[in-house]
Amino acid sequence: MIKRILEALDKHAGFEQAQAHCDIPCGIYDPSTAQIAALTVVRMMDLMAALEGGEQKSTGEFHNSMERYIAVKEEHAEKAKHEIRIIWGDYFKKDKHPNVDDLVYRIMQLGSKCRQTANREAGLEFVAAINEFAAIFWETKGIKTKKANAPYAPSLEMVYPDL
Amino acid sequence: MFRILKITGDSMSPEFVDGDFVVIATIPVFLRRLKAGDVIVFRHAGYGTLIKKVERVAEGGDLIVAGTQADSLDSRRLGPISPDKVRGKVIWRIHK
Repeated sequence: MIKRILEALDKHAGFEQAQAHCDIPCGIYDPSTAQIAALTVVRMMDLMAALEGGEQKSTGEFHNSMERYIAVKEEHAEKAKHEIRIIWGDYFKKDKHPNVDDLVYRIMQLGSKCRQTANREAGLEFVAAINEFAAIFWETKGIKTKKANAPYAPSLEMVYPDL
Repeated sequence: MFRILKITGDSMSPEFVDGDFVVIATIPVFLRRLKAGDVIVFRHAGYGTLIKKVERVAEGGDLIVAGTQADSLDSRRLGPISPDKVRGKVIWRIHK
């Protein structure tokens, strides 16, 4: 009854609104960008290793390709770190997800190691840690996840939302 | 003394959902005793009139606010809310 009266009044006069805002952009968070960036890091490491094992060392072509692989590795390691920081800082609540802090710290460390070195093991750990983060993220949304190999090199096992 | 406002958005769900109405008390005596758990309506320079839950009262009296959803806008982005920005305390909710 009261509700109906208020709705009628609202239609005629319009009550002031109090906004129960979500973040801006409203709730649009997705760890897939970080996952793809981490995969790219491993891909660049593989390309660097393949190039190093080739015969055309010390040529201009070699240096050009190697420089480009390194630049992309740098860029995507940082991109992955950035994406994780955004979701961690703007989405996760410390009191509700206390274990995420340690995982994010580990991701930051691994991302830096991937920039500093061409260590594939570090790259694999980086991907795995970000997959772990993605699984936790989707769990908070109540969305089941599945594991499948990425359909492109380096074809690592990834966590995907099962939509 | 009292005002009726309409809620938009779902950052306070399930307690308050889009389309609900709330009655707020604007009487100063109500606003001097704000504590953790109280739901308040306040003005924010960037976001306008907002409704949030008081998470805690900081030293100096500023209010740290939060929504109930993981992606709610809260004091990490809004900053502490000065008590003089509080329009009122929710004393009654009318679900849609």
